[in-house]
Amino acid sequence: MDAESDVALDILITNVVCVFRTRCHLNLRKIALEGANVIYKRDVGKVLMKLRKPRITATIWSSGKIICTGATSEEEAKFGARRLARSLQKLGFQVIFTDFKVVNVLAVCNMPFEIRLPEFTKNNRPHASYEPELHPAVCYRIKSLRATLQIFSTGSITVTGPNVKAVATAVEQIYPFVFESRKEIL
Amino acid sequence: MACLNPVLWETKVLQSKATEDFFRNSIQSPLFTLQLPHNLHQTLQSSTASLVIPAGRTLPSFTTTELGTSNSSANFTFPGYSIHVPAGVTLQTASGHLYKVNVPIMVTQTSGRAGILQHPIQQVFQQLGQPSVIQTSVPQLNPCSLQATTEKSQRIETVLQQPTILTSGPVDRKHLENATSDTLVSPGNEHKIMPEVLLSHQESSHYVSLPSVVFSPQVSQTNSNVESVLSGSASMTQNLHGGSFSMSPHGALHQHMTDTQPHILKNRMYGCDSVKQPRNIQEPSNILVSKKDSNCQVDLSIQVTDDDINEIIQVDGTGDTSPNEEIGNARDVDENELLGIIDTEDLKVLEEEADSISNEDSAANSSDNEDSQVDIVEEDPLNSGDDVSEQDVPDLFDTDNIIVCQYDKIHRSKNKWKFFLKDGVMCFGGRDYVFAKAIGDAEW
Repeated sequence: MDAESDVALDILITNVVCVFRTRCHLNLRKIALEGANVIYKRDVGKVLMKLRKPRITATIWSSGKIICTGATSEEEAKFGARRLARSLQKLGFQVIFTDFKVVNVLAVCNMPFEIRLPEFTKNNRPHASYEPELHPAVCYRIKSLRATLQIFSTGSITVTGPNVKAVATAVEQIYPFVFESRKEIL
Repeated sequence: MACLNPVLWETKVLQSKATEDFFRNSIQSPLFTLQLPHNLHQTLQSSTASLVIPAGRTLPSFTTTELGTSNSSANFTFPGYSIHVPAGVTLQTASGHLYKVNVPIMVTQTSGRAGILQHPIQQVFQQLGQPSVIQTSVPQLNPCSLQATTEKSQRIETVLQQPTILTSGPVDRKHLENATSDTLVSPGNEHKIMPEVLLSHQESSHYVSLPSVVFSPQVSQTNSNVESVLSGSASMTQNLHGGSFSMSPHGALHQHMTDTQPHILKNRMYGCDSVKQPRNIQEPSNILVSKKDSNCQVDLSIQVTDDDINEIIQVDGTGDTSPNEEIGNARDVDENELLGIIDTEDLKVLEEEADSISNEDSAANSSDNEDSQVDIVEEDPLNSGDDVSEQDVPDLFDTDNIIVCQYDKIHRSKNKWKFFLKDGVMCFGGRDYVFAKAIGDAEW
């Protein structure tokens, strides 16, 4: 009944979101005019700067807070964030790379089997919430890890968590429960 | 309106952000104060003079001296000059419209930093047996002020920043399509001289009928719509529409109902943040004179430039504190290999080991350790280009292929860009091309 937990599952990290501060006020207009690969959203007061090398998009606020999205790993996120701070420094701002924090990690995992969602929901009452008319997936929250998993009937699972480790742990945790409610093809 | 299209394009180019900096340095927009001379005694007279007012930002100065009116000579000029348009002048714009001024108008240039001025309000004229007219008051815009002095009394109403529409009771509005036009109407009593000045966009044909100065027994109706555009701090033009009826006791009737036409508000043109955008209203300051038959209409568009064109005030990010103490922390430029935050302990360790290789090792260790110590205030130096290297893509802007145009829509999905451009010129491969429409696809 219990599934072995050492099944090799490929967990693909699709997105890593991080933030950092530059500890200095940024002149958005100057960034928009002189920076490369920027999109100036004047109405909301931010500048988007896209990087190629680690493919990331950074949202830059004038307060000096920068949100960096699109990286595929935590290291890459930090690397890209530093690159971004470097390019801002080149524009002339007294940038200091501080308060780097990975805020969110999004990963995708595929089960080799399909899942019966109503049964799964019944077995995991408090944590799982399923509203098929709203969304075709079961939303399973692990409070201790602060992770959320979206379980689809096809066996595909989307995990979001504060860091990569939490995401991996969440997948490990959910595997036995999902295995219980799998759809066996006879 | 086809004749207005070239000017429309020109105004758009000048107003577009593409040429924002280009025209910033050459501020040419004059600020005008429109004043109606005190002696509005003149009755309507058939005009004999006709002036050609070229449309555009710059108008050459010219005078009309051969006017049959007793008014002061009309001196219609642009920056630095005052514009006098006596009554009875027929003006012809470059677009070919003929306008006849019934009421002398004098437009003088105010100082460049004119504050919000009071606006004169035209009075409502009740015309006997005529469709009522709405008196309009000119809402005030920053640089422009209209002051209508009447014979009897001088009414100057302070115009609020928001255009308001008032109608006098008995006045029967006609053809007011006021979706975009705002009129200030003060209930008119009997005889009021209603000088109306219409400032309008070029693209809209506004007919402002300037009632001839009527003496007390005169009752004239004016139907005017004053469209004022007040946008932020940069309302550039005033649009007044008025159809005025003036009846002179002598029988010179110029009754005429003008259809008020909806105006395109300036709001659509200019954002709220006028300071940031030195916009010049491209409409020429014209005084459009109605046709001789009945309309006295004056269109006056005034160009205004922002005051602080060179100063772009940033509205966001206020209240930030940028503590500078972090800057004083040691930025070890010498130790370029260090990526992590340098602790004092690590510094000592590093200093003890004079070996560069061991420095790197400890640096690697320290960086690993420091990754978990992110909340340490002391910061790691951003390397001077070594590790955190600059974007390796060289500047692609050294090309000579350039497109200067306006955009309809720029769209992006992930890294796929779509461009819908219009009205541009491009230098491509050493040759120049002009296009009215261009569609492009690009991948970034």
